[in-house]
This record gives sequence, C-alpha cells and structure tokens, in this order.
Amino acid sequence: MTVSEVLIQGPDPEIDPEPRTGEVAGRSPMRIAMDRLLSDKVAMICAGIVLLFVLIAIFAPLLCKLFGVELRAGDPVTDTDSFNYPVIGPPNYGFTWEAPLGLEPNSGNDLLAEWFYGARTSLLVATIATVVSTVVGVVLGLIAGYSRGWGDRVITFMIDLFLTLPFLLVAIAISPMLVERWRENPTMLDNASLIALIVILSIFGWMGLARLIRGEVISLREREFIEAAHVLGMPTHRILFKELLPNLVAPIVVSFSLSLPATIAAEATLAYLGVGVTGRPSWGQTILRAQSWFDEYPLYLYAPIVGIVVLVFALNLLGDAIRDAFDPKSFR
Amino acid sequence: MRLKRTVIAASAIAALTLTAACGGGDGGGEDPAGEFKAGGGAGAGKDATAEGPLEIPSDAKMGGTISVVTNNAPATLDPTRTYYTDSGAIMSGLVTRSLTQYVYDEKSGDSILVPDLATDLGQVSEDGLTWTFTLKDGIKYEDGTDVTAEDVVYGIKRSFATDTLTDGPTYQTTFFKDGQKYKGPFADTDAELQKLPDYDASAGWYGGEDYDGVEADGNKVIIHLAQAFPELDYYASFPVFSPIPKAKDKDPLAYESHPMATGPYKFESYKPGTSLKLVKNDQWAADTDPGRFQAVDAFDFKFAQDTAKIENQILGDKGAAQSMIGYDDVTPPTYKSIKEKAPENLIEGTSPCTYMYRPDQTKITDKKVREAISWAYPYQAAWKASGEIVGVTIQPGTSLLPPGTAGRVEYQYPKGQDGQTTDPEKAKALLKEAGAEGFEIKWYYERDDEQSVAKKDQMVKGFEAAGFKATPVASTDETYRDDQSNLDAPINLRYGGWCSDWPSGGSWFPAQWIGSNANKPGMPNPTNFKEADADAKQAEILKMDADKVPAAWGEFDKWMQETYMVEINAGYDANAFIKGSLVGGVVNDPVKGMPSFSIMYLK
Repeated sequence: MTVSEVLIQGPDPEIDPEPRTGEVAGRSPMRIAMDRLLSDKVAMICAGIVLLFVLIAIFAPLLCKLFGVELRAGDPVTDTDSFNYPVIGPPNYGFTWEAPLGLEPNSGNDLLAEWFYGARTSLLVATIATVVSTVVGVVLGLIAGYSRGWGDRVITFMIDLFLTLPFLLVAIAISPMLVERWRENPTMLDNASLIALIVILSIFGWMGLARLIRGEVISLREREFIEAAHVLGMPTHRILFKELLPNLVAPIVVSFSLSLPATIAAEATLAYLGVGVTGRPSWGQTILRAQSWFDEYPLYLYAPIVGIVVLVFALNLLGDAIRDAFDPKSFR
Repeated sequence: MRLKRTVIAASAIAALTLTAACGGGDGGGEDPAGEFKAGGGAGAGKDATAEGPLEIPSDAKMGGTISVVTNNAPATLDPTRTYYTDSGAIMSGLVTRSLTQYVYDEKSGDSILVPDLATDLGQVSEDGLTWTFTLKDGIKYEDGTDVTAEDVVYGIKRSFATDTLTDGPTYQTTFFKDGQKYKGPFADTDAELQKLPDYDASAGWYGGEDYDGVEADGNKVIIHLAQAFPELDYYASFPVFSPIPKAKDKDPLAYESHPMATGPYKFESYKPGTSLKLVKNDQWAADTDPGRFQAVDAFDFKFAQDTAKIENQILGDKGAAQSMIGYDDVTPPTYKSIKEKAPENLIEGTSPCTYMYRPDQTKITDKKVREAISWAYPYQAAWKASGEIVGVTIQPGTSLLPPGTAGRVEYQYPKGQDGQTTDPEKAKALLKEAGAEGFEIKWYYERDDEQSVAKKDQMVKGFEAAGFKATPVASTDETYRDDQSNLDAPINLRYGGWCSDWPSGGSWFPAQWIGSNANKPGMPNPTNFKEADADAKQAEILKMDADKVPAAWGEFDKWMQETYMVEINAGYDANAFIKGSLVGGVVNDPVKGMPSFSIMYLK
C-alpha cells in the first residue's frame, strides 16, 4: 500500500458511518463512493437524462437527418402566412412530422433542429467552461494553499479581485469590444463570441473552487505524509499533484457537478440578454424570440425552457447525489 | 421630423433614424381639401379660418388619466429640439402651442393645417421674403403670465443655436435671413463663437439677441427670409415656433425639464427616458384653440417599457389597462389576436416615409450592379424575418415619394419591379453584363438584435442566390446609427429612410440627394449621389412657381431613378398600434404616424 492510498481515505477515516464488514475492507473510498452512487436510483435516472442530452448534443446533425429537419433553412415567404405565422404545425395546425416542434414565426426556421443544436451549444459551452474553471481553480488553490508566503497572498488577492468583478457587467461590456475588433469578418466574429463566452464563464467560475482547495491544502500540508515527502526531497510539483491532489478528488468532483448546471443557466441568461453566442442556435435566444408569441404559440417558448429546466434539474440532483456519495459525514 | 427612436430596438426598422414629418400632399397650394390617394393623406389641406373651441365628442366622460406606454423613449422634450415623430406629437399635441398646428379632419380622414397661436396661417409679402403672423389675444403660460410676440421670436432665435440645442430641425438656417451666419442667442461673444465646431473667422458669424431675421412688432411676429419659402406655414407648426420666455431659459439644456406650457396640459414631472406626467393647464383657454381639447385630467407617459408587457396589458383590457394606449407598431401575434378579439382597439394608418437600401455611389459605381441589387434583395423574406407584417406595418414601395404626396409619379424601375419581387436570375444576368460577378456587398446589421440578425440571414441568402458575395458587417444596437452615418464606414450599402418635413418633394430631394452634400461627414447625402445634371435639375425646380413644383418633383423622382438607380426602395412605412377599450378619439395622425393626443378622451 502506497502512502497516497492510505491517505486517500480522507482526513477522518475513523468516523466513516458505513458499517464495517469483511467485504468492504479492501475497497478505496473512491470505490465506496461510486458504489453508493450506483445504488442511488434518483442519481441514476438523472445520469441517464444527462447522458441523453449529451447524446443529443453530440449527434445533433444525425438526429436532424433522422427527423428530416434542417437547421435555419426556413424561407419566410413560403413557410409563414400573412401574419408571419407558420403555415404548418402549431399553433394554427395540428402536429406534423414535417416539423415536430413546429416552425419559428417570422423566419420559418425549424424549431426541432434549433432545439437539438441549442442543446449542443449549451453543453459545449458549459462543459468547456466548467472544465477550464475547475482546472484553473484546482491549480491556483493547490499553489496558494501550499506556498505559504507571498504566493498565497498574491493568489488570495486575485481570488478576492475576481470575486468583486460584476459578472453580468463584464459580459455585457466585452460583447461590443468583440464586435469592434472583428466586425468585418462574420465567421471570425461568431467564433470569437463563442470563445469569449467560454472565457468569461471560466474566469468567473474558478474562485470558489480555488478557495475550497486552498483551505483543504492548508489543513493537509501539516500532515505527516506531506512532511515526509518534503523531507525525502520530493519536488514540489510532485507533492502537489501526486500527494495532495488525490486527496482532493471529492471536493473537485462535487464542485464540478454543481457548477456545470449553473454554467448552463448562465449561458442561457447571457444569450437571452443578447451578449452570448451569436450565429449559432441557443436556447436562451429562442426564449428571447419566443416570449412575445407566448399567448398564441406557447410551444415555441416551452421547448427551450423544458430543455433548460430538465437538464439543469437533472444535473443538480446528480451533483447533490455525488456530494452525498463522496461526503461520508452526510446522511440522506 | 425623424421617426421615433427606440431604446431597446424592438425591430431593426424601428431603430432607424429617419428625418421625417409632415409629408405628402399639395405643395403649398391653397386648396383646402387637397387630394389624396388611398393609403396616404398626409396633412396638405389648410383651413386658415378654423376657430376654437373644438367640440368634445358626446361619448366622452370628463376626467381620468390616459396612460401612454411605449418601448421608445424620446431623447429630449425641449421644444427647439423636438424633431422626432413621438416627441413632436406629445409636445405639439398637448403642451406647446406653435404659430400653426395640425388638426384631424374626420371628413377627409386627414390632418389639416389650421392656425394655433396666430390668427391665421401667416401673411406673406409680394416678394415672398417676409412672413407676418399675428398672435391671438389672451394667450397665457401655465403660470398666468402673458405670451408675447417677443417670446415667440426668442424661441425662433433659440433654434439657430444648433450646436447647443442639437438634433432639431434646421430649415431656418437655410431659408431665414443670415441663417448661415446667426448662431443663436447663447454665443454672444467672439470667444464663445470660436468654440463652436467648424468655426470660420471669415464667415461673419454672430450671436446674441441682435438678429433681425425675426422681429416682434406689438403682437406680430415678422420673419425675414433669404430665399422664398412658400411652405413656411407648415414649418410654423413645429414646436420651434412656440413661445419660450427668456427668463425661464437661464440654462438652455435644462429647459426641457419643464418647458412652459401654453397647451391644455403642463408638465408635472418628467424623468428623461422613463416617464412624463402631464396635468391640466388651467390657463389654457379652449376658445382660442381650434385643434385641442382638455377632456382628461392627466396623461401618464411611460417610456422604455417592455413590448411584450405593454401588448399583454392592453390586450387583456382589464382595469387600468382599459385607459392605456401604445404607439409602437404591434408585433404579429398581437396584431392577429386583437384583430380577432377587439378590432376596434386596433388603429392602422400611414406615415409618409420610405425605407431605402442606399448603395454608396462612390463604391458601387456601375448602375447595372445597383439594379441587380434591387432584383436580388429578398423583400418579403427580409420584412417577415424582421417582424414586419406586410401590408400592415410595411407596404411594398415603388416611387421614392410615398403615396399621398402630391405630384407623385407612380413608376416601376427597373421595369417590372413592383417593390416586392425578388428575381435572382435577372440579378445574375445584370451582374454578368456588368462583368461584376461575385460583387461584394457589405452592409451593417445589429448583432445584438435578434430581428436584425434574422433579416441579415435572409439577405445573405438572397444576395448569394443572385451571384453576389454577401458580407454583413457587425454593429451593435447602440452604435448602429453612428456607424451608418460614418463616411468611412467599411460598407457599400446603407439602410435608411426619409419622411417629408412638409408636403412637398422639396423636403425630399434637396435634403437627401443634392451633390453639395455628398462625401461629407455625417452623410447628409446617404448615397454620396453627385451628378451635375441632377443638381442642375433640382436648382431649376426650386426656382419654379409654387404650383408647378410638386409635379416637377414627382417627375424628378422618376428621372433620377431611371437615369441613375440611386436607391433600392425597401417599402413604405405604415402604422398599427393598439389601445384600451375606454380610450376614445384615437386616430392615426398621418402627418407624424402617431396617435392624435390632442383629441383623445376617455369613454
């Protein structure tokens, strides 16, 4: 048994509430947590839903072909009537397989294709932003916690600084700057707005985790195994990533699973405010367009809202379950 | 007058800056009835003898408050700077009285010009260079002091300070005596004059109270002109010609916070961009005013409101919403449901404006390419994508002068282009002829406005199908207007519109397509159109007798398009707004394309 395997049991292995049986004896805490998670029905249903959304996002083009719909192919002249309402499907006509979620008023674009690709945008942005912010948060938290002295002070100062920046204000301010820079190159502008959105969501997502990790590291770094590693002459990066990091898996996983849904909601909010991604479908934008049609054409608004609510809800429940599974002190 | 300005652009089209107002009709003629084609009377009729009081309809219940809710917000309510359709309708309709005014005439369904503060529509001298307006007796400000001719004169002088009081109408600087030299009453020292932009020491600028272009003589206001201005009586209906007491104008930029009322309502509170509360002005005398009445206790304006919220409240028609009225164009879903549920609460009408795509003549030099654009532009798709209801908020356009303009010549150019036909094959053929296949069209769109983006997508599709290379250039809601009027903008196609300021083509062509304005900062000539023969023709028309002018402008419209294909007509503007069931007296004032506040009451 290596040093790290012993210590992965966390700070207080003695008070593990699970009854000790012969079977459990050889299992790592990670394994125990996974077992708990797998036996949690709610968590499994939520995981299934999330997986479904992930598959929709990945296979959006295939799904569109399967349903025979096409993204942004509407022709307002032939697909909408004189009141700009769609000529097939809801709200004025019955369900049709030609457009299962109906067509968008004004433009005649297909809403199912819009929804599939909206899921793609949502998950793409949220996943990348959350991964980046988690990596940044973990690395800075480790360094801050372990470095004592000025390194800790600088990073703590940065954390405080970023916490004071108003998220919405910065997001709204950056959008016109991008337009100014790439105004004559529409493709570049669309890509830039996507990258900028991911960057914004990332730089506003790492502080909480960094603080958490820093606190954990400060309590861990005084433990004997770290002292021992230090005395043995282990390089600092090895201590950080081989000795400390494995002990922080639980808070990292929990933080990741809870910030993912928050980021999805933030993405939709920014899209609704008109400062999110442009040039590609997004649930937030669909909601923005649909709200004035709600009275006559509720499905237009419900589809993206259901998408966001179900995905965020499933992710939140899953996150809670993961936290419960990793935290031996909590009870259901 | 410019079209009302949107704060949160509800549609790309509403966000345009249009210079617009009193349009169409008989160019300065004296025929009181005028003749109007269907779809567009626009305030050409006159009645110099109209007298107050105006009768309040019998179904009116006196008192109550009318709430006016809108997505727009007027930038300013200073009478001198009032040059947008909404601020003009509010100020002229309710608060400030000018020398003349428009009043809605039920018989013709049109607004006609009648006297307001003046006893008639002005007397013009033999040479056409001196106008005299005589003020009625007994007109008082809201505080009970008398309105004098000096105050009207001061108000007019104030309008020459275009650098301090920006955005107002500027015809006085063209037509009035010393209009280019006189800089208003505020800059009365050389040091102050030198601070003004474009100061030119040799131009003989002067400021201060000493200006003899306008004078007061007893109760007469006398205006001296540099060149004949037969339509001055129409222009005299602008709030520029309202009295402003000098004593209350110590800080000119702050005057808008409480302009002295002469009309039936006065300011109670005004929060720029947010709200305006008007209450009864007890000093206003009904028998002096042929165009307004005082049937409700107060008007409560709420600006910059959410469109969906406004429409849902008015559609619901419950409680306070019954006495609500909006003046924004309705969205398609609301149009449909109100048409079914309560058609009497929907008011439709015209405003004399034309939207245009305007190729830059210095960048798109080949006429064939410009014609190709008119075939490539996806009229229907672009309108629908941007949320317009074709036939309700927009009408397909042919001639540049909108319907209802006297002397207007109906023509189609290129041949067969009825203002809504897209034919990529014709465009391709023209491009091939011009040897310009794959010509790059660049234009601005508002990246943060969903409808502008949707319209852009349709335009890209349309242009590409017709063999153009389409490059939309991103702008934002906030910077769109400035970007478009930037001379060095990296685009070759601009979008804009124009409405008449008074009923003559004379407020169209010399204002927009005169060569001397080409290639100037701010793009006063939005296409940079500069052709010697066109300028010569315009100069010739300006010298014609007043009764021949309208027809000459109509012919010029046709000639200019056929010879040079200057503009691509993207439709005539039209209005559709909604009201609560208790609001009465609501008609579309075709002069401004706004509800007629001056004759509104509660049932």
